[in-house]
Amino acid sequence: MKFACQKNILLREIMLALEFTSQRNTLSIVSNVLLETSENNLTVKATDQKIGFKTVLPVETIEDGSTTVFCDKFLGILRALPDENIIFEEVGDKLFIHPERNSINFELRTIGADKFPQLEEAPGDAWFSIGQKDMFDMIDQTIFAISDDETRYFMNGVFLEHNPEGLTMVATDGRRLSYITRHLEEIINPFQSAIIPAKFLSLLKKSGTGEGTLSLAVTESIVFARIGDQFMYCALIKGQFPNYRRVIPATQTNICRLSISDMLEALKRVSLLVENKAKRMYLDIDAGGVTVSSEESDFGQAKETINCDYMGSSCRLAINYSYLMSPLKVMEGQDFLICFTEANRAITIKPDPEKDYFHIIMPMQID
Amino acid sequence: METIFFHVDMDAFFASVESLDHPRYQGQPLIVGGMGSRGVVSSCSYEARAYGVHSAMPMFKAKQLCPHGIYVQGRMHRYSEESQKIVEILKTFSPSVQQISIDEAFLDMTGTFRLFGPAEEAARLLKRTVLEKTRLVISVGIGASRYIAKMASSYGKPDGLYRVAPGDEMAFVDKLGLARLWGLGESSLAMLKKYRIDNPQQLRTFQVSRLQKLFGEAAGEFYYKVSRGIDPGIYTGETKSRSISTETTFAQDINDIELLKQYLLRMSHEVMFRALDEQVMGKTVAIKLRYGDFTTISAQITPDKPIYSAEEIYVIAYTLLEQRWKRSQKIRLIGVGLYQLYDGDAPIQHELFDDEFKRKRELEKTVLSLRSKGQKVEKATSLIKHD
Repeated sequence: MKFACQKNILLREIMLALEFTSQRNTLSIVSNVLLETSENNLTVKATDQKIGFKTVLPVETIEDGSTTVFCDKFLGILRALPDENIIFEEVGDKLFIHPERNSINFELRTIGADKFPQLEEAPGDAWFSIGQKDMFDMIDQTIFAISDDETRYFMNGVFLEHNPEGLTMVATDGRRLSYITRHLEEIINPFQSAIIPAKFLSLLKKSGTGEGTLSLAVTESIVFARIGDQFMYCALIKGQFPNYRRVIPATQTNICRLSISDMLEALKRVSLLVENKAKRMYLDIDAGGVTVSSEESDFGQAKETINCDYMGSSCRLAINYSYLMSPLKVMEGQDFLICFTEANRAITIKPDPEKDYFHIIMPMQID
Repeated sequence: METIFFHVDMDAFFASVESLDHPRYQGQPLIVGGMGSRGVVSSCSYEARAYGVHSAMPMFKAKQLCPHGIYVQGRMHRYSEESQKIVEILKTFSPSVQQISIDEAFLDMTGTFRLFGPAEEAARLLKRTVLEKTRLVISVGIGASRYIAKMASSYGKPDGLYRVAPGDEMAFVDKLGLARLWGLGESSLAMLKKYRIDNPQQLRTFQVSRLQKLFGEAAGEFYYKVSRGIDPGIYTGETKSRSISTETTFAQDINDIELLKQYLLRMSHEVMFRALDEQVMGKTVAIKLRYGDFTTISAQITPDKPIYSAEEIYVIAYTLLEQRWKRSQKIRLIGVGLYQLYDGDAPIQHELFDDEFKRKRELEKTVLSLRSKGQKVEKATSLIKHD
């Protein structure tokens, strides 16, 4: 195998490929990236068995062939090389790497391509297409709400559901929940609802640009995606996603309107003095304004009042402030609504005017 | 610097708390414990002790000895509350408070002279503070080691304050005699008797190597040390990381699995309640077993899901007991502990979905509150399958 290509073209793909290799065992084939040349195309493949990646890029093929090298070191070398045309050539069980116009020489041990595992494939009729912007919007509105507690593995991903008008995504850690349902022009092939690992969704975002479309296919156990020449897949999280519909409040009696940026600023300031583990912050909601405050601690206390539009009776809510901050950071527009019924029941956070997403927060106990 | 340890022992603790809550129990023979068919006495008032009732005695036997006593089902949560209050007071006297069970703690008072004056004065102040703030009576033992302090506190009981001055340890041990040396059970005494050893003086005539040959390495060294008033290091094995543990030494070595299960359950509850009070959770459950010959083993499990209830601690502790206990050997001490502590769920964050753990904890809370209201509720053990 022998080919030449511009460093930066390959670098971008190998950076992504690394994310799909196993980081555990350096001696294993699944830590390697597969390189295969034919007819001026280079195919790059990586998989750790649960997650897989394939891309094709144009190169100047001098001799067809295929091999695998340790992805981590390969990437390191690429990063360090000057941006110019680079020659890659396999001789024996080594891959020789040298820039055309420099006397820099690397040799990397190879493992035969025949040992590389087969990548999964999606059945042709499972694919459907969706705008990258729609998909990425949905990811942005939900991904932060997943749980990173491994004992709640079924909440370690985002729930993707098909509906007659489009797609719904939900994520929760058991204490807050983020929901978005998007009407789509495209025809979505029905599929069984799936829990998609968060890592896959962030890799999808890394791979895309946010413009144009991407293709998705969801089978019983795997989610596949195609963006341009890149193909990737990931094993779904097995398990039962909680019945989230049950916890979405049907009606809430109190509604308070606030400015998103005012609240974000206040949260940033007051959080300086909030105890870092529980992150409990108080919101005193009153017709005269919303007072955001920290608990009195050994360090001291912080308090800030911001304008609001509220006509209900005064109420105190206690929440983990990060549960309010994360959705506000990705919320579009000027204003948002806090909807609630009483201090110990679910609170809904949504943009005003309403859009196709909202966030539910369970409050904390008030001492 | 001269080392000073206090051993604080809450007198007839569970019974005292019951008397505090129910003034009509005062001055009566009061027995607290498990009221099931195989229940044991957890604690009893000094009036009950006059009838020969003592803790760890099977309940039916206590009822034979003291038929007119007041018998009440234990309310661990309530005792835990009071215990916590006392520990908080202890912490104002020493930066190093080592709680070894719900009603016992060691305080390292080394170097506190300038704060509290001589040790006896500090102890008097401590006793008075506890009495004023909780209306409960504690006994304090003072010694240069934990071992001596521990025996000094029981020597002075009830309402005791006894100090063994440095250098007087051997004389103190002689005064106690073998039977009252802590850590010597009936089987040990019987064994020593075979070699015509009836008192510490006689024990001291044996060299350590000889004792080890006769009784085994660990027991031999233990006898050698305790006969000289040297701390055998029973409580020094405490790890640096915070932990909550409790242990019980039986008056008589036992190998009755049903009895051991009861102790495990009770200790699991005690550990859980202390954890709840301190608002911490533990990642690891460990048990400790000491056999009649003093060989000690410990074993632990760190489950991958959080431990939310006493029931879960019990199930793990029991699994460990099953795995590690050689049934041929009688047990002299059993302990349960919660390790790798982390801050618990305070302040309380409400959950969106009621999950399984929460339901379990709710169930447990209900059982406990019913029990604390004096209703008879089947012990949680019978609800758990072991196979």
